[in-house]
Amino acid sequence: MHDGSGRIVVQNLTKHFGQVGAVQNLSFHVEPGSVTGFLGPNGAGKTTTLRMLLGLVTPTAGWATINGQPFNHLGNPGRVVGAVLEAQGFHPTRSARNHLRVYAAAMGIPDQRCDEVLHLVGLGEAAHRKAGGFSLGMKQRLALATALLGDPQVLVLDEPANGLDPEGIAWLRTFLRSFAGGGRTVLISSHLLAEVEQTIDQVVIISRGQTMYYGMLDDLRKSQQSRVIAQPSDPNKLVGALQEAGLSGATPTQDGKIAIPGVTVQQVGDVAAKAGVALYGVQEERADLEELFFRLTSGQYAAPQNPPQFGQLPPGAHGTPPGGYAAPVQLPQGAQPGGWNPQSGPVPQAPPPPQGYDQHQGYQGGQGGNA
Amino acid sequence: MGRLINAEFRKILTTKMWWGLMIPTFIVALAMAWGVGALTSDIADDVYREDFIKSAGIGKDSVSFGVIALTRAINISTMFPLIFGALALSSELHRKTITTSFLTASSRPALLSAKAITYVLWGAIYGIVIVLGASLGTLAGSDSDILPEGGQWMLIALMGIVSTVLWTLLGLGVGALMGSPVASVIVLLIYAIIVGPVSEIVLTGFADGKPNIAGALPNGSANGLTGSTAADLIQKQIEELAQGKPISDRAVDTFQAAMRFAAGAPGAFALWASALIFIGWSMLFFVSGLARNQRRDIT
Repeated sequence: MHDGSGRIVVQNLTKHFGQVGAVQNLSFHVEPGSVTGFLGPNGAGKTTTLRMLLGLVTPTAGWATINGQPFNHLGNPGRVVGAVLEAQGFHPTRSARNHLRVYAAAMGIPDQRCDEVLHLVGLGEAAHRKAGGFSLGMKQRLALATALLGDPQVLVLDEPANGLDPEGIAWLRTFLRSFAGGGRTVLISSHLLAEVEQTIDQVVIISRGQTMYYGMLDDLRKSQQSRVIAQPSDPNKLVGALQEAGLSGATPTQDGKIAIPGVTVQQVGDVAAKAGVALYGVQEERADLEELFFRLTSGQYAAPQNPPQFGQLPPGAHGTPPGGYAAPVQLPQGAQPGGWNPQSGPVPQAPPPPQGYDQHQGYQGGQGGNA
Repeated sequence: MGRLINAEFRKILTTKMWWGLMIPTFIVALAMAWGVGALTSDIADDVYREDFIKSAGIGKDSVSFGVIALTRAINISTMFPLIFGALALSSELHRKTITTSFLTASSRPALLSAKAITYVLWGAIYGIVIVLGASLGTLAGSDSDILPEGGQWMLIALMGIVSTVLWTLLGLGVGALMGSPVASVIVLLIYAIIVGPVSEIVLTGFADGKPNIAGALPNGSANGLTGSTAADLIQKQIEELAQGKPISDRAVDTFQAAMRFAAGAPGAFALWASALIFIGWSMLFFVSGLARNQRRDIT
């Protein structure tokens, strides 16, 4: 029925709700063995895209497949793809275990699997409690347990960190890395890059329903440029001296300093000494990913004040993220996501489950993180 | 399909609603049958005490007026399985458990069919409870002289179960169409308790007692299932009492109308017509409700 590849393909996906274009001509694919972040501000169309992928919303145009098949041709979809979606409900008076038993029956898997996944997500103690009394974090864990019930090859998670405490987020990170490490596929959406930065290999950034960037996270990182912030006694003189030395592009910042892209601290120091300008402070700065993400998606809302260290830099003057839908960075066909070695075959070893909320500690952030 | 039906049964059995609704169903059926049975018995007592009835040699056991208690009790109790059906899909939509249900089913038609089969079975279970309650109430409240015979009893009971199953499906359809549990339950209850019965009496009044549009409406045709069965039975017994004396067609019609009114089905058509009409209504709501959810965007 399906090819068992674990590949997700989204092609020219478009959805209009009445006059509102929620998603416009979105294309990307997710390879097995990788974790792909699906990023964009709230309202960018992430949830609608994931729901179209999962057959819950009918696309206006385009298509999406999992394992080479649209969702409703998967046969027993719960065994192929597990999903944690926002606003996925529970009956308030049904116990966590009974909730899982309902869907275990629908998928035709034995009840003991319900206990396994409850322990896996750290809800073993709460198995017989009613879901209506759960905290947001516990509900997220129960949703994840439901998604894992069918031992699926593909996981789709919509803002799974919402409501999770820091320990829960760290645990989820480790879990997703090991899940993908076993050759399976993870697609995870978030409106915060920092939240998933340590987990993902590949990233799709959308804004207003359109792709803004699609490619490896490492490539996005490399596209950043450093710059030097200097506080000279005479800014005009220093800028003039820099231009004479062939170092152009210096711009004043809000707090009276100047920012010079693509130079080193030594170069600025030498030029200032030669021109007889005193420097009261000089430092090198790198734009962080969050700032790049922000710039890629800031078209959606009026940009709030830029962080002070970037001052009045015109957009695009600093760093060269690929902009717009016209030229997304495409992951080459068959390219292996960097940072780790995908293996095929073995079932991923789940990290040890947190023992309830208060006891487990000492989880490290996901491996391969750069923090 | 078996897996999905199993899942639907677990959905029902892991919350309290099925017995929370079943207890009042039984109590209402029992109490209504008991009360109407006692009332009918009193009236029958008075009638048979009249000299001209006595002189005609008509015994108290010759007409089974007790069926009226049975049908009235069945007709009123069906509002509980109606609510049960109305919540089947609407509460899943409201609580958003429908998302997970769709994600774990091979297709939407498969899930919706499994729901339909499950609720037909549960409708039948409710029907049996209703018939049981109504029968016990009728036995307890009525003079043994006016009780119907076993076979006649069974026929009304069977019609009661069929009617309950169809009401459950109709509820499921309306709930699926409206998508809101509260709204669909309120609309259905207002119709089944107030709008339906009152409009049927008014329409039948203007129609001079003959079968009319009231019997073609959902509530009227449902009541006709049980009411017309009861009316037919009483009619036959009266004809037997007439001992072959010719009775005009007009008298037959008038008597039928009166008996249907007494049995809680004013303006109803004959049993088979009522059955077809009510099956039509149930299927109309049921199929359009499912069709609506076949395409619905779950956001």
